[in-house]
Amino acid sequence: MRSRTLEPVSEQPLTLDAALSEEAVLSTYRRMFAALARDSGAVVDDPALVDIAETLFAAFAEAGEEWLTHEQMRFACRAYPGDQFDNRLRVLKGLGAIREVFPKPNQLRYRASFTSVVGLMFIRRMMDDGGQSEMHRLLALEDLNVADPRTTMEEARQSAANLARAFRLWALELITLTMGTIEELREQAPKLWGTEEIARRAQGLHGTILTRWPALDRVCTDLRAAIYAYSDASRRAAGRLADSAGTTRNLTLLPTETWRTFSQTASRERLAAVLDGFVFDAPAPWHDPAAIARAVDEAPRPAPAQPTPPRSTLADAGPEGSLDSAPNAAMERLTEVAESLLGASSRVALADVLRSDWPSARRLLADLTTVDLRPELPYRLVWADDLTISPGGEPAWLSHGYLERTS
Amino acid sequence: MTGTRLSPEAADPDLPSSEPAGARGSSGSTGAGRTSGGAGARRVLGEDAVAHVRARSGGPLRLGAGVAAPAGMLRLTRPDSTGQALPVWPDAATPSLLDEYQVSPVPVERSGETRRVLAATLKCCWSDLSVDPWPGTPAPAELILDTYRALIGRADDLMRNWAIGALRRLHDSAWIVMSDGVVSLGPRCALWPVESHAQLKELVRRIPTPEQRDLTVVADADIVAAATQVPHGLQEPPTAEQPSAAQGPLVVQQPSAVEGPPTAQQPPEVQATPAAQGPLVVQPPSPEAQEPPSAQQPSEARVRAQNPTTATAVAGRVEGGAAEFDELLSGYDERRRAELVAAFMAVEHGAEPVLEARFGGLRDPALRHTLAEMLARRGRTLIQHRERWTSGYDDAYRTDPAPPTTPGAGAPAATGLGESERAVLTLVLVHSVAIPRAEGLLPDDTWLSPHPTPVDELRRHTQLPIGELEAALRVLRHAGLLTQVKAGEEAGGYAPGPQFHRLTPAARRRLQEELILAAGPHSPLATAVRARRSAG
Repeated sequence: MRSRTLEPVSEQPLTLDAALSEEAVLSTYRRMFAALARDSGAVVDDPALVDIAETLFAAFAEAGEEWLTHEQMRFACRAYPGDQFDNRLRVLKGLGAIREVFPKPNQLRYRASFTSVVGLMFIRRMMDDGGQSEMHRLLALEDLNVADPRTTMEEARQSAANLARAFRLWALELITLTMGTIEELREQAPKLWGTEEIARRAQGLHGTILTRWPALDRVCTDLRAAIYAYSDASRRAAGRLADSAGTTRNLTLLPTETWRTFSQTASRERLAAVLDGFVFDAPAPWHDPAAIARAVDEAPRPAPAQPTPPRSTLADAGPEGSLDSAPNAAMERLTEVAESLLGASSRVALADVLRSDWPSARRLLADLTTVDLRPELPYRLVWADDLTISPGGEPAWLSHGYLERTS
Repeated sequence: MTGTRLSPEAADPDLPSSEPAGARGSSGSTGAGRTSGGAGARRVLGEDAVAHVRARSGGPLRLGAGVAAPAGMLRLTRPDSTGQALPVWPDAATPSLLDEYQVSPVPVERSGETRRVLAATLKCCWSDLSVDPWPGTPAPAELILDTYRALIGRADDLMRNWAIGALRRLHDSAWIVMSDGVVSLGPRCALWPVESHAQLKELVRRIPTPEQRDLTVVADADIVAAATQVPHGLQEPPTAEQPSAAQGPLVVQQPSAVEGPPTAQQPPEVQATPAAQGPLVVQPPSPEAQEPPSAQQPSEARVRAQNPTTATAVAGRVEGGAAEFDELLSGYDERRRAELVAAFMAVEHGAEPVLEARFGGLRDPALRHTLAEMLARRGRTLIQHRERWTSGYDDAYRTDPAPPTTPGAGAPAATGLGESERAVLTLVLVHSVAIPRAEGLLPDDTWLSPHPTPVDELRRHTQLPIGELEAALRVLRHAGLLTQVKAGEEAGGYAPGPQFHRLTPAARRRLQEELILAAGPHSPLATAVRARRSAG
């Protein structure tokens, strides 16, 4: 049993696509059990209900001879809502798919029916390919049957007649689809149309019957006609789809798996044969002279050997040692500058401390800005909106500002 | 520009463009077979058109001794009067015209590096700046690598590998010819317009000469001399479809190698065979070109003999081809003519389909008709993608996929691609287009795809050996058939390249059918496809 059925189904977002596919699943269920149903409402109306059954059967298979109690069953189906579970359990019990281990009152343990599990497997398979593989199996079985020396002519007649009927109905469904809307055809037809193999196999079966019981030629003619009708309907459905799909939808008609298998297993020759006869351009990039020149200009240049700056012939120790290299020398100097300006006060106007010559004023402003930007120094610059302009003075204009002590 | 649309003459049905092509085309010896003008459902391409298709899909054509180049092609003649033919463009345009119209050309892989290597080759091979660059003199590949090294100032192995890769790409696209460690300029170098030679000369002078290696065992000249012992004609570049063509027979008679309609393929030129012409004799232009040389064919003026003093040079000369579009273009004034040429270049060489609104030659139905005529002479056809246009191979060409009849040509199928390249391309088409389409993720009728095929998928889950796969990917990328999509560490892959814009609707449909036939040969769809094919 598949473990994926344990995943919570209800978490799937209910999109239009999902709703459509659910409807398709339900219609398969309805069709399959139409022959058995008591009334049209008898088939489940939510595919999740089938998943519950499958989950239950999986749990039963795992439990083995321990069987399952009601609580264990509920636990296995914990992903599904309680009322759905109860409903399912009631139906399954009512139909005998889940029964008490021993037919005694107050029985607490339950077992699952083997038949129901097989039935469920069959349903799932029918759902996946619309009965094509069933037809394959049926044909294979019939093939064995008619080859069996114990088979009587009457049985062979029955078998041929059944097959003929199946093929006819199959073909009719395809024909109806072919005449219907293209969307319906697109959705349904790939499940219905047969491969050449089915037709071939059916024809083989037909040949075996006819050779062994020439007297059955009437039934065989029917069967042959049904097979041809079916092949023809398949081809017509495919043709209509191919025509209508034009160049956009045709590729959708082969399932993804076919494409993957092809890409993974095809030999080089088979792959290459697809493009036989197609013409493509040979590489012919254009290298314009201007583009070539540009590429050369943009070439990563060799790093030029850096010319050494001219040196004095006199011995020169260089500037080493001329800088105070103490780590907080700069801080000390800035603190000194700020303190010398502030003195004892906590606030001093810049206009008072700037001297009239611009070079020294400039140096001082730079220092003060540094002071202001150093958060560890307890000073700050505060700028006001006022502006003093004195065309003759130096500096000629001055924003009003204050140096303040912050602590 | 909207003036063209509104102008009364443009809408006039008696415009020169609607003059039947046969009116003047029949005057030339090759004109008769050009276009069948839609006689019957099964059109047959003229031999010139077939030659152009072959040149575009397989690189420069080889010409037998004395065989004239098809109309619209340059003939690069060797001393033994064999030669190569490659297409030129109308009115001396080059694909750099696309820049003026802000149309991006097909991207060049590692363009800067490739062009620098080409510049280094030019430096080494263009020995006599007083004559044209082509054919120049051969030079050892090592000398070119040294020159390139001097140019970019790096000497590591990586640089060397990249430069060798660039040499290989240049060789594959016929810009250089590389064999036995000797490199010479390739046929495409003859396409540089004369006006640009000054710029190239200036460039060559600027490129530094590499320092001579101290331990030179064999002099460069000796290497070249040893390699050029073989007849000169063998130095021709293999066309893209024939990587081993250098070992092939020297003379491949072009028309017989053509996979075209089996009848009427023998051009009169083959029988003419003016083999008596010496290497220095300028061939008389073909009959069509005897009209006064007009401004749009400057290459005619370039017909000249090679300087006889360059003894080791692979001698050769460039002969202008017969004018091809004159009778179509001559009826138009300068402006319309320029619009037509611009539209021609844009659809032929733009990487993507170009907007109709931006080109007068596409906007105006009459001009577009003439444009289609021009393209038809080259075996091409206009392809519309909504309001955009590009060009592709005429369906008439590939409906005659005659099996390769000439053993010398050894031509694979018409693709010009090797088997492993075609196989890899098919794989990418399946993964990037067929599967997304089967899952409903790719609604449009296109073979381009936003779903790259993961490299891992190609490496691990296919029947192709990995070395073959990598080589094929390289070739396909270089040809613009695949685009490498880089996304993060591992999400990258390959998607169908810009060339897939150029498939006609019929080709798109056929490609889809071929894929269905290959992947699901027993499905009813395949049966339907086969039934329709045998019916039609």
